[in-house]
Amino acid sequence: MFSPVMLGQVFVNGVSLSAIYILVALGFTLLFGIMRVVNFAHGSFAMLGGYALYFMYGEWHLPYLLAAPLAAMTVAVVALVFERAVFRLFYQKMFQSMIALLGLDMAITFTALLLWNPYERSVPTPLGGVLQWGGLIVPEDKLVITGVAAVALAAFWIFTRYTRHGLALRAASQDLEMAEAQGVNTTALYRLAFLIAIFMAALAGGFYAQTYSLSPMMGERPLLMAFIVVILGGMGSIPGVALGGLLLGFSESALSTYYGAAVSTFASFGVVFLLLIFRPWGILGTPEHD
Amino acid sequence: MGADVKFKGLLAVACVTASVLAAPAARADEDLKIGVIAALSGGGTAWGLGLQRGTQIALDEVNAAGGLKIDGKTYKFSLIAYDDQYNAAQAKTAVDRLVQQDGVKFIMGPVGSPGALSSLAVTQPAKVLQFVDGYAPGILKNDFNAAYIFRVDNSNLEFSAPVVSWVKQTMPEVRKIGMIVPNDATGQAAVPTLIGAYKVQGYDVWVDYYERGSKEFTPILLRMMAQNVDLFDLNSAAPGDAGLMVKQVRQIGFKGKVLQAGGAGVDEIMTIAGPHANGFIKYDVVNEAEPQSKPLVDTYAKKYSGPMNGMVPVYYNATQILLEAMRRANSIDTTKVRDEVEKLEGWNTALYGPLRWGGKAAYGNNHQILLPFYMKQVDGKTVSVKATLQPNN
Repeated sequence: MFSPVMLGQVFVNGVSLSAIYILVALGFTLLFGIMRVVNFAHGSFAMLGGYALYFMYGEWHLPYLLAAPLAAMTVAVVALVFERAVFRLFYQKMFQSMIALLGLDMAITFTALLLWNPYERSVPTPLGGVLQWGGLIVPEDKLVITGVAAVALAAFWIFTRYTRHGLALRAASQDLEMAEAQGVNTTALYRLAFLIAIFMAALAGGFYAQTYSLSPMMGERPLLMAFIVVILGGMGSIPGVALGGLLLGFSESALSTYYGAAVSTFASFGVVFLLLIFRPWGILGTPEHD
Repeated sequence: MGADVKFKGLLAVACVTASVLAAPAARADEDLKIGVIAALSGGGTAWGLGLQRGTQIALDEVNAAGGLKIDGKTYKFSLIAYDDQYNAAQAKTAVDRLVQQDGVKFIMGPVGSPGALSSLAVTQPAKVLQFVDGYAPGILKNDFNAAYIFRVDNSNLEFSAPVVSWVKQTMPEVRKIGMIVPNDATGQAAVPTLIGAYKVQGYDVWVDYYERGSKEFTPILLRMMAQNVDLFDLNSAAPGDAGLMVKQVRQIGFKGKVLQAGGAGVDEIMTIAGPHANGFIKYDVVNEAEPQSKPLVDTYAKKYSGPMNGMVPVYYNATQILLEAMRRANSIDTTKVRDEVEKLEGWNTALYGPLRWGGKAAYGNNHQILLPFYMKQVDGKTVSVKATLQPNN
């Protein structure tokens, strides 16, 4: 059980799991960090991303490198309707947003159920094989997700640190009134943040559907994972997402392999439970002050 | 003249009113609602839809034939379905609504032990006749002695030993079995029967548990592979979960046999696992190639899109049993219908030939159907039947 190959495989599985968790959680934490919105409809946007990729790549056979970003962008652009009609009413209203967006999540999910039936589908993948190095086995689709997650994480970091819009977003998240007083157009800024967040959710949903399966109800799991990751790492913190995703992915890989799924689940939720008691703002988050 | 016009007007209104009131009486069809409790979302969706659609097709047939004449009345049937999401709490809510609010006296479903067990406490005291599919022995062996419940599909007690004997016979190289078992009533109460059947035949069995709805099985599959198992049995995993297990176990390089002794439906698993499903062996309750299955297969293809899950024939068959029992009882009283269902032993069913009830030794009553079943294998994009087996009684 503790052979080098086995340990290596645990590591590989940990990396691929972490990548999925990071990808799913990035958009979730962005919306909270900037607009203080707990997006309980995150999973349904991920689901829509899955269906968009299913149709664009699986049915209409667009080239994959075009279909994947186009599917996510289509969902993000269409979702601007929800930004105007729903999300905008709940910016900076954390608790109200939870309930409202839970309702939106149900509305989107059950509309999808009526449109596309509840059957689980498979989204074809351009890379369905496995790579072998010695005894190590890496599924190609998970390797792609790892690469995309790494790029997305780096892009987020660079965007929020070094670009004009990114700096404006950070300024607005730290002190909204002061940022507006300095001439920051928060309405446009929020729309941009929303677009990026939903793009990330839909992109993650596409990969998630490809790796696992696609159905109108598939959003529950990504939402749960995103929630755990951002609670671990700290709500609104992008480095926190990376840390939370890595912690969850590696602990699940190691604990499930060596001690079974029940111990892994117990440990994951146990850590979240303890964290909420002793450090409710997460490992890299910052506490809220009145 | 004016009075005459007024009188004729009143007469016309009276005639129209009378004809409107008389119209329903002339049709005289009674609507009898059949309840359905099924997983219409989540990992058990394929089973739930199969249940609903199999029931619907049988009801459509009897409605198209003019309905069922019972005690001087003609009954047409309609269906009320609620989603139980393959869990006990939702099934309890669904059965409460059907029995208390909708006044339903006949229920098809749920599929799955958690829902079936939780619904018993409502249906049995209310004398609601229920046709379930779940593997836990407690569904039939309980304080109610299954008074108003029939299991309309084989359970582990009926198919485990024949499947394991077939494995022993056809796969002599297999020594050790690996199982990842759902951590619910099915996994805890029913799967041990399958594990016991393997052990009786001298196999070493390694078992771990998972939560239904899980998507990532790779770590636990890796754990299983480290035990050097020769055959991975998916036991009672729902098609959604089973498809992912098949895909992921092949992705991490498992070279042994993958088999599912339980559940129903191969197509959904093939859809999710894709090419990784090649060589996968599966228990199933319908052989689409047999001539008696053809009318149902054709009707299904005309009416619905998507694959025909094994629950379609199971519940098509169950609904036909219910309708025949009503016809013979000449009543919709659930006690009289229940008694006729029991007496239907030997009645020639459209899909499975003579009806067989059993289970007295195991459950204390004969409310367990005994269906012939099939071991199928995926070869590329096709599925072939490798063996037809008979259940234990």
